[in-house]
Amino acid sequence: MTDYALTLCDVTARGLVGVSLALLPGEILGAVGPAGAGKSTLLRIAAGGLRPAAGEARVCGMPVTEPNARRHVGYAGDSPVFPRALTVREVLTYYARLHCASKGERAPVGLVREALELAGLTAAADLRTEALGRADLHRLGLAQAALGGRRVVLLDEMLSGLDAIARRDLRGRIAGLAASGVAVLMTSRDPAALERLAARVLVLRQGRIVRAGPLASLLAERVLEVVLDAPPPEPPPGFRITDAGLEAPLAGRTVESALALCRAHRLAVRASRVRVKSLEEIVLDTHDAR
Amino acid sequence: MRFLRCVHAEWLLVSSRLTRTRLGLSLLSLGAALLWLHGRGLDPLTVVLQAGALGSIIGASGLAGSEGDRAALTTALTHPTTPLAVATGRWLAMMVPAVVLTIAVAAAIGWQVGMVVSGVVAAAAVGGCALAIVIPLGTGAAWTLFLSIAVAGAIAPERLVALARPGVVRVAAASALELGPALWHYRDIALGNLGAILHALAWTGLGILLASGFVARCR
Repeated sequence: MTDYALTLCDVTARGLVGVSLALLPGEILGAVGPAGAGKSTLLRIAAGGLRPAAGEARVCGMPVTEPNARRHVGYAGDSPVFPRALTVREVLTYYARLHCASKGERAPVGLVREALELAGLTAAADLRTEALGRADLHRLGLAQAALGGRRVVLLDEMLSGLDAIARRDLRGRIAGLAASGVAVLMTSRDPAALERLAARVLVLRQGRIVRAGPLASLLAERVLEVVLDAPPPEPPPGFRITDAGLEAPLAGRTVESALALCRAHRLAVRASRVRVKSLEEIVLDTHDAR
Repeated sequence: MRFLRCVHAEWLLVSSRLTRTRLGLSLLSLGAALLWLHGRGLDPLTVVLQAGALGSIIGASGLAGSEGDRAALTTALTHPTTPLAVATGRWLAMMVPAVVLTIAVAAAIGWQVGMVVSGVVAAAAVGGCALAIVIPLGTGAAWTLFLSIAVAGAIAPERLVALARPGVVRVAAASALELGPALWHYRDIALGNLGAILHALAWTGLGILLASGFVARCR
């Protein structure tokens, strides 16, 4: 029997319809989709913050509604807010004390040190949270979510709104967390943010999973781009008009046959290239397919 | 034991808020104002009761009233604690400075054990009520409660009721003064009135339970 870190079984709530998923330890699963697709609701249900109208969420085999489950699942919301007037170290100490509330557990100091190192906040440990920039607030969100050796970490828009360097740094830290055996479920409005991180992706639209699978297989779809001298009056079957000319998915046909179709339509092909579909295009395709 | 340790975690907020925010200065200003009023003739028991009650309202506002504090409860609840532990911890955290202020004011105007007990019990009851108000409604509601307790605490209840129009309004005012955590109840604690003590305990418990209910809704 597989020991899943997180399972959602036919979960239905406001904005979410019959969603099921299972996450293995050490796996990174990305949920993408436009605003209102149900990404944050999905995470809040997985974190036990929202009760589903139907279905069940389990963390390490326990229903997430059990208080004990919160020792295993951490959550960082999309707009991280922490108690004011506290330093980064004090904020983490506050949360660490909640994890060390039973006799014989590790001291909060050790948990805080680990969390600071994990999130790269050691240098900012004595700064007050009001003085933190967006990237450091996200790091603090990650630190508190992973605090106490959580086995599942849920990250809502953790990589959104960050510059490229901060994003790369956080991506590395999240990958490191997963490499240590922590299951990560993260959402992003910007699919490109997850392309280099998630092993598996699910695309949500209007509360339903419309596509799901390993990222490698989703990104295996190839597209032929054709640059034309002049825009065509009408595209050949299977093609669509772009700014530079035409493009078409290569599903089930060769480049040569697609180019031959262009020539058959008397289109002056100046250049052509084959590229793979981006995750953003896959999201847009599912949106346009309505 | 686990519950108590979760309650204790909330105490971390007290020292930082006292030294790094306006909370400490506000409590000092309240103490100074009450001592000044005592010098102008306000009776010692009223001064001590006001110190406890108003100190706890300022504490509730400073420790749980801001929008950031209320939003941060959502994050706290993703850790292994309970809404009741959070509410109890915040109540105890805001009680600490209020009790210290009560004792300091009592020491300054003439120490009497009964008077100090009245002040501490008033702080507990009004603090419970204040916490149940500031968590859902914020700092603005705390200041409304502050003004109403400050005014109602200094005037005899009969005079306040007489100010209201006869009829439903007067009955409502009398009921609010009778049922609410009005300071006139707690004057009798100094005389050992069991009813007044039970009234205060009821407000303390009710306040914490209501506050924990509002904390749970932050999830």
